[in-house]
Amino acid sequence: MSATAGALRVFRAPVSRYDQASALWLLAPMLGVLALVAVFPVLYSFWVSLFDLKLTRPQRVPFVGFDNYVEVFQDELFWQSVWRTTSFTVICVVAVMLIALAMALLLNEEFRGRRFLSAMLLVPWAIPYVANGLMWKWIYDSGYGALNGVLFQLDFIDKYMVWLGDSHKTLWLIANAFVWKEVPLATILVLVGLKSIPGDLYSAARVDGANTWARFIHITLPALRPAFMLVVIYETMMAIRHFDLFFILTEGGPAEASHVLAWHVYVETFRKLSFGTGSALAYIMALVTFALAFWLIRTLGRKL
Amino acid sequence: MSRSIFLFFASAIFLLYILAPVAWMVSSSFHGEAEITSRPPHWIPHQPTLENFGAIFQARDKKVTYETRRAGDPATGGYIPSTARNFIPSMWNSLIVAVSVVVLNLIVAVPAAYAMAKIRFIGRQTSIYFMLTTRVIPDIALVVPFFLFIRAFGLLDHLGSLIITYLAITVPFSVFILVSYFESLPDELDKAARVDGCSRLQTLLRVYVPLAAPALVAVVLFTFLTSWNEFLLALMFTQTPNSQTMPIVVASFASDFTISFAFINAAGVLAVIPPVAMAVVFERYIVSGLTAGAVKG
Repeated sequence: MSATAGALRVFRAPVSRYDQASALWLLAPMLGVLALVAVFPVLYSFWVSLFDLKLTRPQRVPFVGFDNYVEVFQDELFWQSVWRTTSFTVICVVAVMLIALAMALLLNEEFRGRRFLSAMLLVPWAIPYVANGLMWKWIYDSGYGALNGVLFQLDFIDKYMVWLGDSHKTLWLIANAFVWKEVPLATILVLVGLKSIPGDLYSAARVDGANTWARFIHITLPALRPAFMLVVIYETMMAIRHFDLFFILTEGGPAEASHVLAWHVYVETFRKLSFGTGSALAYIMALVTFALAFWLIRTLGRKL
Repeated sequence: MSRSIFLFFASAIFLLYILAPVAWMVSSSFHGEAEITSRPPHWIPHQPTLENFGAIFQARDKKVTYETRRAGDPATGGYIPSTARNFIPSMWNSLIVAVSVVVLNLIVAVPAAYAMAKIRFIGRQTSIYFMLTTRVIPDIALVVPFFLFIRAFGLLDHLGSLIITYLAITVPFSVFILVSYFESLPDELDKAARVDGCSRLQTLLRVYVPLAAPALVAVVLFTFLTSWNEFLLALMFTQTPNSQTMPIVVASFASDFTISFAFINAAGVLAVIPPVAMAVVFERYIVSGLTAGAVKG
């Protein structure tokens, strides 16, 4: 499938003679900047993770080797946060995929107002996460929020409910705010996939007597695999590292119901001021993200 | 006929899902202190007021005292915080940061993307993989080392710290979009310009940059929006209103439960207007940029 090849292709080599000197000249600013702001920090972070650096005790910074990592792995809360991050990520990725598929199928049709819909689609995408967070915080408000208002007026509930403060619902509600903002990008990616399906495939299938459902299952879904793969990889990366909504909506609570990995790093580093274990955690997160990205690209790339 | 009815309902649900939360935020921002706490909510305010926006724009000369606080509905504790005056300066801070990051991105990314797309050299594959890898680094993994550097260089609470660190989260994506675009332009252009005696830099600036205008617009938009919206790094590196960006000030309103939600929503509306306006106006460039940037991800 050409689109799959396109998805995984690394840029083709240009037709020109070797020009080592100019290339390095032109690349130098980027390489310099990325070395300074990406590579060096990641390496330095590993170095810091080998020391017991606490900002509450800045004079004494003993070298402890891998003790910080041992400490992280022995922390019950760490494993709970790993589990919560996993659930959050799965909920978000599945929901984003389904809603984006529905929206892309709609936007792939020709009808009046389609242009307007696709312009409006970018509204959630452009809204800063902080504003998104306070918007949903107000909607979920237990005293005067819109969610309670709507459900009450429609008689689904007979008294106002506590939403974010209910530890069984918190993760789902935060996921909803996340999904709302992430759906537009995924829709655009799926829509590109839909547009790349040649129309003759459908005509041929119709001649063969395939109904709408059969055409959807046998033509549309297989052709969308590359787009789905992109969405899964991208949204997984985004959901695992997500921090903003947890800060705005719940601060990891109630109790520890939304204490995810990114929040764990934040608490360890900036509330407990333990930079050693914070670095170790951040380093574990970076490695896991890399490994996961690599694994997803390898397996999904082959199977889909 | 049934098709158009179906499409109509599908579009209606679509629009409701996308716009209802935003509409509620906008509506709430025009609520007065007494109305914001009505049960069930007034979906459209009965007595719309501009006092929430007024508080932001005139915050500089309004003093919040015990008495003016109580002017709100004391039962809800709803009031307008004295920090309202930090909001407009924080928008300026965000603007300064975003524009600087955009300019630096263009300076750094355009030549690099040209080299990767149009010049053969040893290490080309490696530099592409390098760029792709840096794109995957989670921002939270950069927080601790950045914090230690920035503290060591005395840049805490300084806009410079944000401008530098935002390069890490924007440059790889900018290069990526530009490489995809340059690559789609014919290599012969490069040859022809070189035969005519253009230097590398002249070829880039006179031939490729004008042709790549759509991709450049996309880069400017993405970089601007990413910087404008960024929260985590700004939360770590800014401490006072001198350097606090818009998301930090808005978050500080949201986390104080004594502040009126009508006021918080007004701040939210103002925070949302610039990015949403940009996105809707430049929709075409954003969609093409996202597609180009993603299809080869």
